[in-house]
Amino acid sequence: MKKVWRVVDQVQRDKATGMLEFEIKELENIFVLLLYGSFVGLPSPPTAMAFELMPYMEEEIKLMISRADLAQDPLGALLGMLEID
Amino acid sequence: MKNMLFFMGKGGVGKSTLSSTVAGQLSIEGFKVLIVSLDPAHNLGDIFEIQLGDERTRIRESLDAIEIDLQKWVKMYLKKSRDEIISNYNYNLSINLDSYINILKYSPGTEEYAVLWAIESLYDRFHEEYDYILFDTPPTALTLRFLAMPSITRLWVKELSGMREKILRKRQTLTRLNPEASVLKGARSTEDDKVSRHLGTISHRLEKLYHLFTEKSYVTIVVNNDKLSLAESVRIGEELEKLKITLNSLCLNKIESVEDDHKEIHSAFSGFPIFKFPVMKEGIRSVKQLNDFKTRDLINHILLKEKKP
Repeated sequence: MKKVWRVVDQVQRDKATGMLEFEIKELENIFVLLLYGSFVGLPSPPTAMAFELMPYMEEEIKLMISRADLAQDPLGALLGMLEID
Repeated sequence: MKNMLFFMGKGGVGKSTLSSTVAGQLSIEGFKVLIVSLDPAHNLGDIFEIQLGDERTRIRESLDAIEIDLQKWVKMYLKKSRDEIISNYNYNLSINLDSYINILKYSPGTEEYAVLWAIESLYDRFHEEYDYILFDTPPTALTLRFLAMPSITRLWVKELSGMREKILRKRQTLTRLNPEASVLKGARSTEDDKVSRHLGTISHRLEKLYHLFTEKSYVTIVVNNDKLSLAESVRIGEELEKLKITLNSLCLNKIESVEDDHKEIHSAFSGFPIFKFPVMKEGIRSVKQLNDFKTRDLINHILLKEKKP
């Protein structure tokens, strides 16, 4: 019974915070794009600065790459997010 | 107190000669002086007739000289970052990173950064020991780029820090509402976040350098009485103004006679003190000839600026 309650609770929480999670992901993605946009042809900050930050950006770079995969279908991602079928 | 002196100007106008003369004179007057060549094509050693390198070499009492080895600084800087990458990334590095990082030597901006960090480190190590640190600067383009670097990078750091702050705040909110959320990775507070901390460190160092260039430096442009060097000096003057770095004086070098009026130069730099140095017909052939330069007025001006910053 407890287990069921926990699952239900988690599902509700996930639903409630979906928008916020999406926003965080987007912000993180823009942050990493600003820093390492030169990878995809955007103007970048002084290389040396980006390079100095690189050691701490593992997760963000992963995110950027996964976002680049999704970029083929941004509308789909947004509709999925808003739960429109 | 202004204790860094920069001699700027077009190649061949006499920056190295003048800066070594001023360094020599200041040391004779009892000041402890360090003269540093930032130019990749060094000629300080030739002037002082002594082999110089990346470590301090004593020229005479109260006067030491260094010729900065930029490539060494670039390598040191890349090695530091490489070590950091290896210690921070999760996966085991079985591949050899060195060959990839080596290519960064050629990336735009690396050389300017190397100059900046060299200046910073020299200042940190020596500003208490010496009364004056003189810099004989590299060609104009590189000099202006490294002087501009702190202001440009400051803007980036400011924007990025603001954004990072926002991300962390949202992560905190999400932690309260839904601690199990899948996007919650990494730090949530500024103190724990290595990226924020490192941005803070970069910003702190840049502020310091910006302060050094704008508040603690005496900047002079060396110019000859010809169209090209004047045009370049005017451009340097404009750039310095944009960067809010004060130009303190102008040194008109290699002129026929100090009595001539040099109208063009006076009108281009009206309002700035102009110090004149006559040409040495046969060029500088020995270190003793440096004493023939009458740098009294320039040195008085430097000393005066130091008293009234």
